[in-house]
Amino acid sequence: MAGDDGGSLFDFDQATYDADEKVKIICLGDSAVGKSKLMERFLMDGYRPQQLSTYALTLYKYSTTIDGKTVLVDFWDTAGQERFQSMHPSYYHKAHACIMVFDVQRKITYKNLTNWYRELREYRPEIPCIVVANKIDADMKVTQRNFNFAKKQGLPLYYVSAADGTNVVKLFKDAIKLAMSYKQNSSDFMDEVLQELENFELEKKEGTSDKEDDLLQEMDQQLA
Amino acid sequence: MSYVAKRCGVKFSPPAIVLIYEDADTGKMRQRIMPVRNFSKFSDCSRAAERLKNSLRHSPYLEGVSQEQLERLHTVLRDHLLGRPLLTPRPDPGDEDLNKLEDEELACRKAQMDELFERNRRREEDPDFVYDLEVEFPESDAREPCSWDEDESDDAF
Repeated sequence: MAGDDGGSLFDFDQATYDADEKVKIICLGDSAVGKSKLMERFLMDGYRPQQLSTYALTLYKYSTTIDGKTVLVDFWDTAGQERFQSMHPSYYHKAHACIMVFDVQRKITYKNLTNWYRELREYRPEIPCIVVANKIDADMKVTQRNFNFAKKQGLPLYYVSAADGTNVVKLFKDAIKLAMSYKQNSSDFMDEVLQELENFELEKKEGTSDKEDDLLQEMDQQLA
Repeated sequence: MSYVAKRCGVKFSPPAIVLIYEDADTGKMRQRIMPVRNFSKFSDCSRAAERLKNSLRHSPYLEGVSQEQLERLHTVLRDHLLGRPLLTPRPDPGDEDLNKLEDEELACRKAQMDELFERNRRREEDPDFVYDLEVEFPESDAREPCSWDEDESDDAF
């Protein structure tokens, strides 16, 4: 049986994301496409995110009200981890939506969306994903162009600028809505499998320690 | 007296703009070193360039040098004060994979991008600031294809 200690072991655990009013939204994309700048523009000045530097992870906690209910949102930002061109599986774990960003001034960041998207779908086959064309302030003409990647994958495409603020707030509000509706209607097979695995682990008590649990436990301590 | 500017450059220590020019009266090539005073890493390069261009002492020599060029040279001086490396010719920025750069290099490239970001930035204090700024762009059918999609065969690799 999991006692108090066992419970806290799974607290951060991303099990908190099972609570009704809490969602996890992850940001993906190459270095320097403006992921953090977008977060900062949405949350505005003075907002201090939590740096989990050991995990190359930045956590932006945000709360909002939807239909009279308080919703807690954790935005996960990569903090340099993207430079390994791959993210740790726990980054994707239990995410409810994804914001995938490229820089309209750098073709390679657009081309690399294919890799990011492939990895996202390995872990989260069903979650809503928004493609973001950032830095349109640098060249407004790009808004007249069609970026086929989004269309091909059937994903919504947003033209935004973290600098002048175009469509940034709309992007995040829509992402939260998508995350909430995914959560409420999810029949994600992976979710169910993971849930089963977790129940199984819990039954085995706190002695279990596969790699991810260790990581989550350490994260828990850093957050505390 | 008239002077024909030939080349213009910078000296870092002490900071100065250097002009190579021809003295039209004598036909001789000469070098003029114009110290850049009261200039720090926080200085406005465009104003410093304007000041030099209009200075009583130097303006007769700088007629053939555009203010834009003087501004660029001041930017080189300022970047030096900031400890940034000189801008070297670089590969097409669209094709360079920044994921592969070292920390310092990446920070430097981000600083360069930040210049544009700051220039185009709307701040909360700005009178025309709108937090939730929504702009609709034409629907996807009306859009033109993007040249970045032309080499789709890449995906096969």
